[in-house]
Amino acid sequence: MRNPAGWAALTGFSLAFFAFIYAPLFVIVGYSFNANPVNMMIWEGFTLDWYTGLFGLSDRATDVGNRAAYVESTDQMIAALKTSLTVALFTTTISTVIGTATAIALARYRFRARGVYNGFLMLPMMMPDIVLGIGLLIFFVTLGMNLSLLTIIIGHCTFLTSYVFIIVQARIAGIDPALEEASADLGASEWTTLRKVLLPQLAPGILGGALLAFVISMDDLVITYFVSGTGDTTLPVFIFGMIRRGVKPEINAIATLLILASVVIAALGLWLRSRKTD
Amino acid sequence: MAPLLEIRGARREFATPEGGRLAALDGVDLDVGANEFVTLLGPSGCGKTTLLRAISGFETLDGGTIRLDGADLAALPPFRRPVNTVFQSYALFGHMTVARNVGYALEVAGVPKPAREAQVTEALAKVGLSGMGARKPAQLSGGQRQRVALARAIIARPRLLLLDEPLSALDRNLRQQMQIELKTLQNTLGIAFVFVTHDQEEALTMSDRIVVMRAGRIEQIGTPRDIYRHPRNRFVAEFIGETNLFPVTVDRMSGDLALAKTAEGLELSLPSAGRMPGERVTAILRPADFAIAAAGIPATVTRAVYLGSDLHLFVQPSVGGPEIRVTARDGDAAETGARVHLAHDPARVHVLEGG
Amino acid sequence: MALRRQSVILGLLLAPVTLFLGVFFLLPLLIIAVFSVLSPGLYGGVEWTFYHWNYGRIFGWADGIMEIYEPIYLQILVRSLSFAALTVLLTLALCYPVAFWVSRLPDRWRLVFLFLITLPFFSSLIVRLYAWLLILKPTGLLNTSLLALGVISEPLELLYTPTAVVLGMVYVMVPFMFLPLYAAVDNLDRAQVEASLDLGATRAQTFAKVILPQTLPGIMGGAVIVFIPSVGNFVVPDVLGGAKGLMIGNLVEQQFLSARNWPFGSALSMIIMAVVLTVLLVSVTRARKAGGHA
Repeated sequence: MRNPAGWAALTGFSLAFFAFIYAPLFVIVGYSFNANPVNMMIWEGFTLDWYTGLFGLSDRATDVGNRAAYVESTDQMIAALKTSLTVALFTTTISTVIGTATAIALARYRFRARGVYNGFLMLPMMMPDIVLGIGLLIFFVTLGMNLSLLTIIIGHCTFLTSYVFIIVQARIAGIDPALEEASADLGASEWTTLRKVLLPQLAPGILGGALLAFVISMDDLVITYFVSGTGDTTLPVFIFGMIRRGVKPEINAIATLLILASVVIAALGLWLRSRKTD
Repeated sequence: MAPLLEIRGARREFATPEGGRLAALDGVDLDVGANEFVTLLGPSGCGKTTLLRAISGFETLDGGTIRLDGADLAALPPFRRPVNTVFQSYALFGHMTVARNVGYALEVAGVPKPAREAQVTEALAKVGLSGMGARKPAQLSGGQRQRVALARAIIARPRLLLLDEPLSALDRNLRQQMQIELKTLQNTLGIAFVFVTHDQEEALTMSDRIVVMRAGRIEQIGTPRDIYRHPRNRFVAEFIGETNLFPVTVDRMSGDLALAKTAEGLELSLPSAGRMPGERVTAILRPADFAIAAAGIPATVTRAVYLGSDLHLFVQPSVGGPEIRVTARDGDAAETGARVHLAHDPARVHVLEGG
Repeated sequence: MALRRQSVILGLLLAPVTLFLGVFFLLPLLIIAVFSVLSPGLYGGVEWTFYHWNYGRIFGWADGIMEIYEPIYLQILVRSLSFAALTVLLTLALCYPVAFWVSRLPDRWRLVFLFLITLPFFSSLIVRLYAWLLILKPTGLLNTSLLALGVISEPLELLYTPTAVVLGMVYVMVPFMFLPLYAAVDNLDRAQVEASLDLGATRAQTFAKVILPQTLPGIMGGAVIVFIPSVGNFVVPDVLGGAKGLMIGNLVEQQFLSARNWPFGSALSMIIMAVVLTVLLVSVTRARKAGGHA
């Protein structure tokens, strides 16, 4: 350990750093319980109204006299959540399958274009979302395609495949190729070897990649913003719109619930990674 | 009777980073009989593992053929060849139990569960692992894992079993024990084993025949005795066992002996057959072929290593020249510094042409 | 032949990604390039004629009839680049000490803190940016607290300033800088640090001559991973920036969704792409030189 003064300074700095990172989360969670609907900064009392309001269980509306808009807003939010989940589910499935197949190909086969593929797969992650988003927008419109759930899913898969690829690739690097050779040696065809030997060994990596893809897809704003049609909104886009239109206290409640969900998922990811590999 | 395995002209080349081509296998011919224990022996990079992998199908040859029971293997991918391999790292399936590992070949062949289980029990018994079926590889010791790998490879009754340095990860005692067990197993099963190792002692212990390889070529094939007593060239002589090499010129003939001298003047007696005065040859004598005697080459012991039953001596000839290695018995008067005379039996001298 | 079989399987495994990325990644990028030199149609579409004036509008050549040169675009480009660079420097300054601190913790604590650092970034970005909105508002948490403490007498104008944008981007980019940095710091050979001290170097000298050079690859990696998304960022300036914080990403969004001048928007995107590719090219060649031939 270095000198105590230096260490103390470093510790102080780091703790301030943590405060900086966590500040927004605490702010949101705190305000979600603030009964003051107008000026959120002034604490009026503890309330669960905003939460119950989310699920239509409360009569209390922010825009008094504009009940209709309030109820509609909640329904829209739930619809947005459903859309996000649907998109995330499809995206996760597709990108996991394609990403895993690609990782296996690059790890287990020698071919000349291997280096090119490795580099090429990094590109979608490195390109800023906005470029990807408008590129796809122009592409779809020029082709005469309607913007819909499908276009959103395609947009997400474009860069999420690379994420899954990287994670699975890292995992497969740690698997002894002799295992697959042994399987073939004992009479298993390539497909059987994949099913009985490689995929079980690869499972934690695949799950990790799928989890990451799911989380990123649920949270994607920019690409979705550009390639979604008028009828489909995902949750991030919905919240983005809400912020632009005017801040309502219900946002805090939604946000807190999202934070909670993310903690659960993060813990799940941690558990997955800590499982001993064989 | 046609051999089980016929390899003719096997070639395998790689491109080197500098742009040249390196031959991992440079025209290899080999026959293996149906019940033989053949060892491929050689230093790292000699091609023995490449040859093994070519037989199992994980390397494709650039030239030559490999036939099993007369059929060309080239058209068959590894999973269709009736050949099984015991891998150096054992390559056990960590996510499966021992029983499932062992029964894997039967599982993928579609053998129904009851029949499979019976054969797995039998195979485990053969390698001395009865009752371990429910364990996972991670719970086993190195020696046990080795046996699982073995059981897994023999259960499908392959015609030929390939073993890629399977004992290299084991400690000395276990190794020696496994050597005996493997040999016994091979006899019991009655299938051909092709065994790869770089350890010449191992090769000598287990093999019916040894194939000494260097730089992609076969240097010599023969029984352990052949290889040890009649090495065909310097490389084989020096690779197998300890050896003393003497470049000598034949001085004169004397009865049925030819007397030869090294450049320093050390005298050796060789069998006279085929020798001519003035000829330059290399005389090879193993350490055990020298004896401490009353008369012979005068020398001084520079180092004596006590190994229990034997005394390994490093002896410096009085006339000069390199040290001679001699194996003496405990009890011979030969401590460091002792003046001794070395005698040898001319019949034991192995002669290589060329000095 | 076994080789033929292998090729077929390889083809099957690679076909999906090749097709998918080829069609939905490469083609769109190509289309942006094409559109950037097309003429904008009267009612928001495009006319398929060659039209380089989009670039002219940005970089200075214009004939006054088709387009006029508007220096504001270059200004915004420069602003975007400087914001991104500032973000890199600030995240570096923030993350480096913390990376050190975490790597020196006892094992169990290390895992805990690593988890704690990555945890917030699992929750929705837009939500966390919104929180900063709440904090920085004139009636927000920061101002309210500072006023209550008597540190200031009037609320600070923090929101809708360049400061807010950089702050937001730093906040967003922290995990991207932290992870490669931590990996580099963790891999540091402690024995070398001790050897340096043993041979008489001060802590400062050891840092400059031993620690810094060895963590440099991590720093460079983090810098690239932070710089690129920062340049093209549009969400942070949109939520926190207002007119004074406008970045090139916002311009693109405006052209596509409000002004409906897709060719011009494409030209702006091409510039972002050019910046990104340049940065990538530089970092790859540097990495190759460093790790390759001696």
